[in-house]
Amino acid sequence: MSSITILMTLQNLAGVLTLAGAIIVVAVVIFVISSTSREEDKDAAKHKVYSVRTRYFFGLCLVLIVGLFISLRLLPYPRANAVADETVSIVGVQWFWKMANGERTTGPVEFVGTNEVTVPAKKNLKFVVTSADVNHSFGIYNSKGVLVTQTQAMPQYNNVLYHQFDEPGEYYVVCMEYCGQTHSYMVGKIHVQ
Amino acid sequence: MSTLEISQVEKKKERKLAIIWAVTFMIVFPLLVILGLYMRLNQGKVVELDYTKFYAFMTMHGLGMAGVLFSVAFAGLWYLISTRITRLNLGVGYFVYVTVLIGFLALAYGTLIGNFAAGWYMLYPLPFKGASWATWSTQVSAVALILMGIAWLVGILHLLYALTKRYGGFFNLLGWQYLRKGTHEKLPSVVLIATVALIPGIFAFLAGAVMLIMYLLQTFEPSLAFNPLLMKNLTFFFGHMLVNVTLYCGVGWVYALMPEFTKREWKVDKVVVYSWNATFFFIVFAYLHHLYMDFAQPRSMQYIGQIFSYMSAVPATAVTMFGIIAQVYHSKMKWSIFPLMSLFGMMGWAIGGFAALVDTTIAINVGLHNTLWVPAHFHTYMLMGVVLFIFGYLFYLFSGEEGIHLKNVTGKAGFWLFVIGAYGFLLMFYLSGINGVPRRFADYQGIEAGHVKETGTHLARYAAMFIYLILLGLLVMYWSLFAKLTRRQKASA
Repeated sequence: MSSITILMTLQNLAGVLTLAGAIIVVAVVIFVISSTSREEDKDAAKHKVYSVRTRYFFGLCLVLIVGLFISLRLLPYPRANAVADETVSIVGVQWFWKMANGERTTGPVEFVGTNEVTVPAKKNLKFVVTSADVNHSFGIYNSKGVLVTQTQAMPQYNNVLYHQFDEPGEYYVVCMEYCGQTHSYMVGKIHVQ
Repeated sequence: MSTLEISQVEKKKERKLAIIWAVTFMIVFPLLVILGLYMRLNQGKVVELDYTKFYAFMTMHGLGMAGVLFSVAFAGLWYLISTRITRLNLGVGYFVYVTVLIGFLALAYGTLIGNFAAGWYMLYPLPFKGASWATWSTQVSAVALILMGIAWLVGILHLLYALTKRYGGFFNLLGWQYLRKGTHEKLPSVVLIATVALIPGIFAFLAGAVMLIMYLLQTFEPSLAFNPLLMKNLTFFFGHMLVNVTLYCGVGWVYALMPEFTKREWKVDKVVVYSWNATFFFIVFAYLHHLYMDFAQPRSMQYIGQIFSYMSAVPATAVTMFGIIAQVYHSKMKWSIFPLMSLFGMMGWAIGGFAALVDTTIAINVGLHNTLWVPAHFHTYMLMGVVLFIFGYLFYLFSGEEGIHLKNVTGKAGFWLFVIGAYGFLLMFYLSGINGVPRRFADYQGIEAGHVKETGTHLARYAAMFIYLILLGLLVMYWSLFAKLTRRQKASA
């Protein structure tokens, strides 16, 4: 499965899981309210609830541990042994992106780059992301409007993001961290060939 | 739980302070909602706000809401504790009120007049670079927040000092005596929860104060510079804790007052002690999930962020949620407005918490971070959690201990309008988040990718319509609240 497909699945999964969770919570609330039409001895009622609680406690712990085990293997962070086919330097500036192929050899302020960059498809790309002024966030959307990946662009730090574009086409860079007046127009383009 | 012998005169004086807080909240809250309405209308291209104004509104909406919700949540705890558990100094209570009010007005001046627009989190070094506002407005806003922080710190320290004296030691407030053998005095659950909520509150305000003082220093000496990653950690440590602490203050009242409706004691036992002490631990470290997309943050801290965020679901649901179920289940209680709002408040907390849990999964967060999914989940447990707890408390306060048990058709009508409006409004946030619509955008016109622009714009319009319903619900609830208050004033006269 390509990385984008996994991500789309995860975003949809977030919606489905939350909807399912909300339905369960609402169902419990309705059940609890409807139960008050009949009185039961408080100790007997508590005993029933607490016996469910014990099972719930162990069930929840199990779900969380399994969830941690699976999800912590799908981290977006670079692996120690990661090898890049190509490097792309990214610098966020109020309110545009400076992007260029290759390693950055100057400081972020002096760095020269453009709002558009061309990169190859099916190659492992290393994005070295920083900022020349305030915090920005380097978010990449595909042409369908799916937020594919992102990392913060922070002054004084290089955030390294590895990403492979499986599909050629137009990708859109959007600043995902509020950075001042025209933040919502701080956009760029990545042409994937 | 009434263990305190207090004269009617003293009780009246404490009640007066509680009512002053309540009325202040009732004035400020809808005004801040209206700022939010303008933001959604602007995002929906229904109105056109200047960018500077939009972000100034956003800043005031965020900081103002966090401030006023914590203030009234804390004031509610103060009232319950001062009238039931131990005497609190009324002078300190008024000092907190007046100082917070001055701070709040100064903040409104800094943002709405001075156009300070760095967002609630004023992420370093945004206030100093490319700012569209004057340095004085940064200074006024920072001083305003420091003033509020000082007031809350004084209030919290006084409350904890009084409780420590009353229960013979600080650790007794955390319920540790329940873990030892031997007899001990019963600890009201509200005391345990207040302690667990307010100690992290102290950490939060201290972190916030350090950060704001650094900001102030830089406004006077621009050559100073601080580490942005450290500042980010301080910011989110402060913000995350403040929101959690506010929520727990509200949960404290539910623990304290729900038994009056269910006629079942909600007592502290070992499980409750373990649970709330664990909560104390979890909320201090869970803030790290706000920095998942800072790849430069040490990896171990990212792991801690997710693990602690996941674990915080255990005590919150297995003890508190099941606790309220055990209170209500087959209790033959009457569903007057307080228990209704409390149960729905718990429901909002659970739903918002669930959405938060999903987003605290790093692998999912990469697709949702700084999209509207984030405001979706925290608005769920603030608007449908904390705010419902607050209105439940206001109805309790305004109606009195007997009056609250009566039928309240108008209040309930307002409640339902409010709930429908709020969940409709929240749904637009969730749908926007799944569709990748970013947060903190004045509008979406610059986004060319797919249908993000159209989706964001249309859903913002629908959200605005639901906000009108929220405001209508508020109006009806206010009608009912003031009718209760005036009836009670007349009766006591």
